[in-house]
Amino acid sequence: MPPNDRAEKQAAAQQAVDILHEIATILNCHLDRRTLSICISMIENGISPEALANVIKELRKQGQQAQLDSATATAAAATRRR
Amino acid sequence: MAHLAQLGALADDLVAAVTAIPESQRGRRNALREIVLRSLRGHTFIRTNQFEVEDRLNGLEERFSVVGRDGLAEALRARRDALESCRNQFTPEILHLLLELADQPAQNSKLSD
Repeated sequence: MPPNDRAEKQAAAQQAVDILHEIATILNCHLDRRTLSICISMIENGISPEALANVIKELRKQGQQAQLDSATATAAAATRRR
Repeated sequence: MAHLAQLGALADDLVAAVTAIPESQRGRRNALREIVLRSLRGHTFIRTNQFEVEDRLNGLEERFSVVGRDGLAEALRARRDALESCRNQFTPEILHLLLELADQPAQNSKLSD
């Protein structure tokens, strides 16, 4: 592919991600640009959007649990030091 | 094989981006990565219907207007129009994902974001 074509395609893809990110914000999806880009790549690799949405919801729960565990461990360590 | 490797790398990135579990907890991240890959490979979901996606977006625009969020309705319409010029075959599926992740936008979305 000639460099100009590649640059044009890249610019169009970038623009699409920008617009999709704005739509994600309007819909209050809690997706940052990086996560959205990963999701787009996964969908382009044949992943079902519904399956991906379920996985993201589950990962959010797991992330919250990991933060709780981390806070509990920090508090326990502080108590031991006293 | 290359496809599987790429999917594995993307699953890893997704776990890191969504959970924010630090690199130091590699074991926990790897376990989640495996769960992600298993869930995605074992799915039995039907294909996205692009007309249904359009209907749902139209419905949301209408709902925004009904609850007095005309600014949100206009913003969504403007973005959908802008997306037309850079649409590809995956656009309906990406919009489907966004609709699945939408979190009470009529109540909670802020135009200032």
